[in-house]
Amino acid sequence: MKTERRFLKFGAGLALGLVAAAASLTPALAKDIVWARYGDIDTLDPQKATSTLSLQVWSLIYDTLLATDASGAPVPNLAKSWDVSPDGLKYTFHLVDGVKCHDGSPLDANDVKYTVDRAFNKDNPSVTQASWGPISNVEVIDPQTVRFDLSSPFVALIPFLADSFSSILCDSNKDKAGFGTTTAIGSGPWILDSWTKGDKIVLKKNPDYVNHGKLAQNPGAPYMDGLIISVVPEPQTRLAGLKTGAIQIAEPPLDDVPALKASGELNVISAENTGQNVFWEFAVHRPPFNDERVREAVAHATDVQTALTLIYGDLSIPEQCPISRGVFGNDQDFCASHRAQYDPEEAKALLKEAGGWGPDNPLEINMLVWTGGKRDRLAEVFQAQLAEVGIKANIQMMDIGTMNARVRQENETPTGIGSMDMMTWSWYDPDILYALWHSPGAYRGYTSPELDAMLEKTRVLTDPAERKAVVQAVMAYLLDHSIHVPLYTPGWEWVFAVRPEVQGFKVAPFVYPIFNDVKF
Amino acid sequence: MFSYLSRRLAMGLATVFAATIAVTLLIHAVPGDPVQIMYAQSQGTTPEQLEEIRQRLGLDQPIIVQYFSYLGRLFHGDMGVTIRGEQPVLDLILVRLPNTLLLAFSAMLIAILIGLPAGFWAAAKRGSWTDAAVMTAAIGGVSIPHFWLGLMLMIWFSVDLGWLPVAGGGPLSLILPAMTLGLSNAAIVARMTRSGMIDVMEQDFVRTAHAKGLPKAVVEYRHVLRSGLIPLVTMMGLQFTYMMGGAIVVENIFAWNGIGRLAIDAIFQRDYPVIQGFILVFATTVVVVMFLLDIVYALLDPRIRRS
Repeated sequence: MKTERRFLKFGAGLALGLVAAAASLTPALAKDIVWARYGDIDTLDPQKATSTLSLQVWSLIYDTLLATDASGAPVPNLAKSWDVSPDGLKYTFHLVDGVKCHDGSPLDANDVKYTVDRAFNKDNPSVTQASWGPISNVEVIDPQTVRFDLSSPFVALIPFLADSFSSILCDSNKDKAGFGTTTAIGSGPWILDSWTKGDKIVLKKNPDYVNHGKLAQNPGAPYMDGLIISVVPEPQTRLAGLKTGAIQIAEPPLDDVPALKASGELNVISAENTGQNVFWEFAVHRPPFNDERVREAVAHATDVQTALTLIYGDLSIPEQCPISRGVFGNDQDFCASHRAQYDPEEAKALLKEAGGWGPDNPLEINMLVWTGGKRDRLAEVFQAQLAEVGIKANIQMMDIGTMNARVRQENETPTGIGSMDMMTWSWYDPDILYALWHSPGAYRGYTSPELDAMLEKTRVLTDPAERKAVVQAVMAYLLDHSIHVPLYTPGWEWVFAVRPEVQGFKVAPFVYPIFNDVKF
Repeated sequence: MFSYLSRRLAMGLATVFAATIAVTLLIHAVPGDPVQIMYAQSQGTTPEQLEEIRQRLGLDQPIIVQYFSYLGRLFHGDMGVTIRGEQPVLDLILVRLPNTLLLAFSAMLIAILIGLPAGFWAAAKRGSWTDAAVMTAAIGGVSIPHFWLGLMLMIWFSVDLGWLPVAGGGPLSLILPAMTLGLSNAAIVARMTRSGMIDVMEQDFVRTAHAKGLPKAVVEYRHVLRSGLIPLVTMMGLQFTYMMGGAIVVENIFAWNGIGRLAIDAIFQRDYPVIQGFILVFATTVVVVMFLLDIVYALLDPRIRRS
């Protein structure tokens, strides 16, 4: 008995000790902003990764030559103006005066040259080197003027220079060991303090920051002293953190958004003009989707608005164009006139004509869907809509890596049951259509010489009106043939829950959160 | 003893080697390659450029060549860099491994501190209401998924009571994940302890001890508990390795910066060097723990030393 008591006493003592230790230490109330996200950055080096998680952080530490306005159009930033030669081969940028790097050195044309030369370094080029276009030389004309020489015209360069992939690196980085891991010298509103991999990134405000074009009202340094970007993978944990006040801003669990909105406990902000496009595409090299009528039937059978309302409420909206809102050339009315709209009777008629299919004799196909973001439930709604017109869709959920491989595999397989997929892509320029649909195609899907010719033009026409006409011709082609059937935008990581005391938080186009105006 | 331990060590090394081969083959069998994943969903580079990147990373080589060049670098102490972000893999792992070990050890401690006395108590009170209550609680403990228990603890202790942080690093943040992992394992320890102790209680030497007129507490503490602990040590070693695996789920819930989360991300991104590094370190840790247990076991039981 004595022994038992001894054990019990020890156990009880330990439990009390733990509770007492916990109660005695109240968490320190830091005035920094804590922003929690599901994952970590890959690197602090903007030329070595492509993930949105990384891009968002680079946009805080580094600045870019150009920025975007609320509609997603490029505007001046570090470059106060720019000229393009008539042949589209020379871009001259005039830089603003007085910009300082985080180490105190001035940011000038040499830093721009250093950045671009580094991206084209033969031994270890930028992973997004192709997006800079065919730059053959960078000339420093004077400290405030720099010229890019191109070997052929490439109009997607301008929107690229507003994106964090093209972050301007201060040339003092080249002497620093650990650039990208422990150091990152930029000229953005926040200075890197530390990065604990997998845990958090600690930034402090840049007191010398002057806003030349970013989408913030605050003309100078951020109001808050620091910004902590912490990694919290589990949505319910992020929500718990928001409720306790340990976190100020985070993506909430999507299922909880209606309740959060109704209670007013947290403010919910949806990013606009994200460039994200969720769409149907098909394995077009074999039946039944080699038949345009069957693809069109799928488009007619899909009631996007109803499905979105059921699953996301008002968090996402239908998209009519193959390039989403915020991207040059997007025009809802124009695209709507080409995209097959919801019309189940028309879908039934097309299916019957194409293969005698109907609700009594359904066409069986596979529907590939990327896991997460409640897309499984959205897919079930689409599945029910397709069933109504006579398509039996087998939903196959998979991670995005597997899905990319599967879609290509389906396009390269000449036999088997039909395959369609709910694909998700994002970019700030219509050049995305080139990547997707120019021969041989990102997934070896639909291509044609006619489409190739139009897509090539979209890359070289420097006159905006002319380019817009060709971009629209491409979109019309994709929609008329139901090759790329747009569904909705945005599609992932676009919802932010913000504690009520936090003022001034906004999300710029292409899902770049802005903290310059944040106060609480 | 020496030959026994050398045999165990050789087997351990063979296990680590086999694990790396198995993982290399398995991960390459999963569809999707890291370069494609990195560029998917955004304006990709051209297919030719993707091929160029694959060549630079050596991903165009046959798996066997990739594996042996990995092994070659490994013997020079180089675990490579991540495909995403080109960060040194060893650094990434070394930052996180101590966190996972700390979590697993703390959970093990909680499991022992709760499970051992509870199991012992239930055995001593065999057949009583106390026994039934402890064992019912243990079945409950085994059945509760980590995911649910973790969230419940978080809601009670962090959101409602405000005693503990929701997530993050630091000693206070360790309590909830360690409790989550430890409590369900405490249930297993309690069940194993109970059955182990009952076995010992029925042994002749215990009856003899009672017959000699020793007080009940002395018999239970000196004779029953000590003899019953030997198989428990082995069992706890196994428990520890299970906890290393269980830690992956718990780390995710509490944003505990452990090696498990690194592995999950790497698997989704097909970041081969990270996955291989993770398995190598994980397998080595398990092998080391088992080897240490073999030593303890040999010290405790002379029959093993002689065999």
